[in-house]
Amino acid sequence: MTAALLTLADSRLPAGGHTHSGGVEQAIAAGVVHDPATLSAFLRRRLHTSGAVAAGLAAAACGADPTTLVRLDQEADARTPSPALRAASRQQGRGLVRVGRRAWPSPAWDDLPERPHHALALGVAAHAGGLLPRDAAAAAAYLSVSGPATAAQRLLAMDPLAVAALTARLAAEIDAVAAVDGVPAAADPLLDLLAEVHAARKDRFFAS
Amino acid sequence: MRTLVEVVARRGPGGHTVLPVVRAGGQYAVRRTGPATLHLVATAFGPLGGDEVAVRLVVEEGARLCVRSVAAAVALPSRGAARPSVQRIEATVAGVLDLAPEPTVVAARTRHVAELEAELGPDGVLTAADQVLLGRRGEEPGRWTGTTRVVRGGRPLLHTTVDLGPGAPAWLPPVGPRAYASTVHVGSDDRPVATGADAVRLPLPGGWTATAWGAELHRVTGALATLTAPERETA
Repeated sequence: MTAALLTLADSRLPAGGHTHSGGVEQAIAAGVVHDPATLSAFLRRRLHTSGAVAAGLAAAACGADPTTLVRLDQEADARTPSPALRAASRQQGRGLVRVGRRAWPSPAWDDLPERPHHALALGVAAHAGGLLPRDAAAAAAYLSVSGPATAAQRLLAMDPLAVAALTARLAAEIDAVAAVDGVPAAADPLLDLLAEVHAARKDRFFAS
Repeated sequence: MRTLVEVVARRGPGGHTVLPVVRAGGQYAVRRTGPATLHLVATAFGPLGGDEVAVRLVVEEGARLCVRSVAAAVALPSRGAARPSVQRIEATVAGVLDLAPEPTVVAARTRHVAELEAELGPDGVLTAADQVLLGRRGEEPGRWTGTTRVVRGGRPLLHTTVDLGPGAPAWLPPVGPRAYASTVHVGSDDRPVATGADAVRLPLPGGWTATAWGAELHRVTGALATLTAPERETA
């Protein structure tokens, strides 16, 4: 079962996640992220807000029936009032459904609503791959920081060892976030603002 | 201390709002200050850690209710065990509810939890504002955790928890503001995204949610006001 989880959280899974920076591109433009220390702070605030929400949603979606999935999709919208972040989440959800259907064929994919939020697709992928809700939460929590960390490394030409080290040092916090009960609603208005300013830009490298 | 405030607003003869139920106890008294306006009057110092306030508001179809407070609330720490003060507002809104208390100041070493859960009917209109300042002048910030959940017809429209102050996992430098203000509106006022310096407005079905943050509360409320002011008619 562990190999399925590793595959799900692998950045090489062609689900389209590499085109998203998780807000890091705009955080760099705004001067919020400029070195390993500020990147680490950014990743932590992302982990404890959108990461925690995604972990809760992914766990709840793992093994859920179609009615519950529709309800969870509405709950995801309510926790994601930023249109830019909703679009980014649904785009990544679609990418994951596309590869997930091939990788882990299962009738569960048909239970998802149209263009689901990424966290819901993660939950269903975990279920289809024979994993448990806590695995889905772990993948969601990990992905909430691994993608932005790589994006920051590329945009700032940071030392890959430094970025790998600071991501690895978040392991305990990632585990704690993945173990959370229910679906949190933790929000960060700064991430909403960065996402909306970013979406209005013409000169961006990343989709979000 | 436990405090319970209950208000029912009903459409009366001639369309005027009547208030068949107005109950208050504990640390609040309620005064009717206008045809459809109530002021919450703090009758005790605080809230202190461990205090619990429950406010239940029902605004029936065709009725209006404005809820204000007379002064800023200064949340203070509990003696001994560090317990939060909790204020929970439950609103059932088929008419029009406008909720805009004065700011909450969260003193150093204090934890304050504010929750608003609003269930809207098909024609329900809600405006709810929060203003928060962490720490009085010259002291360390306290911690404020605010949750807003707005549901209409069983469908959640907004559900967010903002956690500010020392110990909040996402309150980190370089963006760890002392002042925060937020207004949510759901009714029939669709507005697009708007951004400012440390301020953002996001659309909701039939409304919007606007948030601003920074070092000084008066600047933050000013930034918020530019996002929430009624839109001018353009010729």
